[in-house]
Amino acid sequence: MDEIQKRVEKCFENVFPDVPAGEILHCSQATNPKWDSIAAITLVNVIEDEFGFQMDFDILPELNSFDRVLCYVKTQVQG
Amino acid sequence: MRVTDALKILNDAPKTGKPFEVALACGFTPLHLQIFLAAYLQQALPSRRVTVSTGLYGSLARTIEEEAERGARNLAIAIEWMDLDPRLGYRASAVWDSSTLPDILSFVRKALERLTGSIEGLPSGTKVAISTPTLPLPPFFHSSSWQMSEPESLLAKMVTEFAAKMASLAIPIVNTAYLSEESAPDLRYDLKSDLLFGLPYTQGHADKLAFALSRLLCPPNSKKGIITDLDDTLWSGLVGEVGPEGIRWDLDSHSGLHALYQSLLASFAEHGILVGVASKNDPKVVEKAFERTDLLLHKERAFPMEVHWQAKSSSVERILRAWNISADTVVFVDDSPMELAEVAAAHPGIECIQFPGRDYAAGYDMLRRLRDLFGKQKLSTEDHIRLDSIRQSAKFQDAAAESTPESFLQDAKAIVHFDFESSRDARALELVNKTNQFNLNGIRYTESDWASELSHPNAELMVTSYEDRFGLLGKIAVILGHLEGSTLHVRTWVMSCRAFARRIEYVCLRICFDRYGVRQINFDFLATEMNGPLREFLTHLVGQTPGEQVTLTQERFEQVCPALYHTVEDARSRSVNG
Repeated sequence: MDEIQKRVEKCFENVFPDVPAGEILHCSQATNPKWDSIAAITLVNVIEDEFGFQMDFDILPELNSFDRVLCYVKTQVQG
Repeated sequence: MRVTDALKILNDAPKTGKPFEVALACGFTPLHLQIFLAAYLQQALPSRRVTVSTGLYGSLARTIEEEAERGARNLAIAIEWMDLDPRLGYRASAVWDSSTLPDILSFVRKALERLTGSIEGLPSGTKVAISTPTLPLPPFFHSSSWQMSEPESLLAKMVTEFAAKMASLAIPIVNTAYLSEESAPDLRYDLKSDLLFGLPYTQGHADKLAFALSRLLCPPNSKKGIITDLDDTLWSGLVGEVGPEGIRWDLDSHSGLHALYQSLLASFAEHGILVGVASKNDPKVVEKAFERTDLLLHKERAFPMEVHWQAKSSSVERILRAWNISADTVVFVDDSPMELAEVAAAHPGIECIQFPGRDYAAGYDMLRRLRDLFGKQKLSTEDHIRLDSIRQSAKFQDAAAESTPESFLQDAKAIVHFDFESSRDARALELVNKTNQFNLNGIRYTESDWASELSHPNAELMVTSYEDRFGLLGKIAVILGHLEGSTLHVRTWVMSCRAFARRIEYVCLRICFDRYGVRQINFDFLATEMNGPLREFLTHLVGQTPGEQVTLTQERFEQVCPALYHTVEDARSRSVNG
């Protein structure tokens, strides 16, 4: 598992402490009822804290699953 | 604090901790404010499980009214302009013209009146913390932003009057001056986040505001006493060298910082904070210096005065003994880093602050820090008599040492007063939370916990006051228990250390047996690092080292109770002399 994925997982664990560790990789807005608009903003805040870049709120609707968030973060970090 | 840190604090909170529930009333989406408030409260109450719930979006007064019906124990209220009139928010799409201003002013007045009524209608014992509007008004006034328009000044006036009304009801309000220093006004509002999600606060502002609200809901224990050096601290100059007339604290000699420090100490003394002196000097010279009438801290306000050539740490030790408080509740101020280090090494826990000489910025910071260390939400009658009470204790101890215990106590003319209707008396809770030595189990209560304990159907509260021929000690003991048949189950019992050696603890128990007609008293005892005096007393009472549940029968009590010479006053004004 790569380092960025580990860090994104940690962010998810912080925002969704009730999701079992093994299920975080499959977490999405469709499968997790606690992933509402407020949680989405919190997730953005936590990712910003972790990776030190600013995210644009406009992209929020697209970041609706772990995979998509990870992909977005990798794009930002690795360019 | 970052959101990540706040979430970590909350996720790490003990899952089985006793709940500490707070309702956050605000008219907007409080996401960050809610998270940060919960995290700061969790930090303040690490053994509890803090939860912060929110009410209806867009309806502040209704949320408060619903919380009142629900019997909320802790309520944080964050008011913004849009809560007072939606047209004062950026999301309202209102028409901003001068014709609507009178209507807005009238609307705001009514909204504040409704808020006042809602807050006054909260159940007794609800702990409330309020912040008045922190965000900028929208730019719909005729003047430029650097000019205060009349409607803006009227809005500010109404909010200030509301704050004054709340303060008069002893409801704590976030100090707007403090918030301005901590959270720059131009960095508070996030227009994009407000328009997109209804989140008006920047994260930084939500953090600072949450911290202030948490401090109001769960105030930290304030320090009890300050020990000050004299030369180049209380005044400028070495009194032993320049003489009493040569020391200065005036503007002309550029020593005004010392005058400010003296003023602060005088104000502390007025508020019941203990002020002592530890100085390496000739006592006769210092006595002369304190005769100067222009000194802002008068001699009678400082006690004890330790003036000699011995180590400062020994002076501090004697002062702590006279005050009968622990080092961690005291601040020591001196201009010498060496003296500070010597005292810090000898008295772990004492807070040492260096008087900053002519570094005015550091001086300003020191004055503010001292205010924060000693600040308290409310003043009580006991605050005003504390110093006299300590002097009285010293006189009592001196006189006691000169005679036999029985004859001394017999002649003390002690009067013990019992009050059973003190549920609203903040002093009772203050005593419980500040007493360490004669404390049944060391359990501390938040205001809402205390209110909850008192609301128990079988709860009995007894607050004891004391005076004798040496003077008044004021309220010095609290017993909180539950009456269960022929047993009084004591959950909390504290007595101020100033009241030791007067047999008041025996009088308290006799009154419990007498008033409640019980045959035994059970104590929820728990040994702590500091409650040795209470443990020794219980050991004497029951004849063995106390466990977690201690039972004292009336028969046993009568066997071990010494002669009591007190005049007892209670609702029935009966005496238990002899």
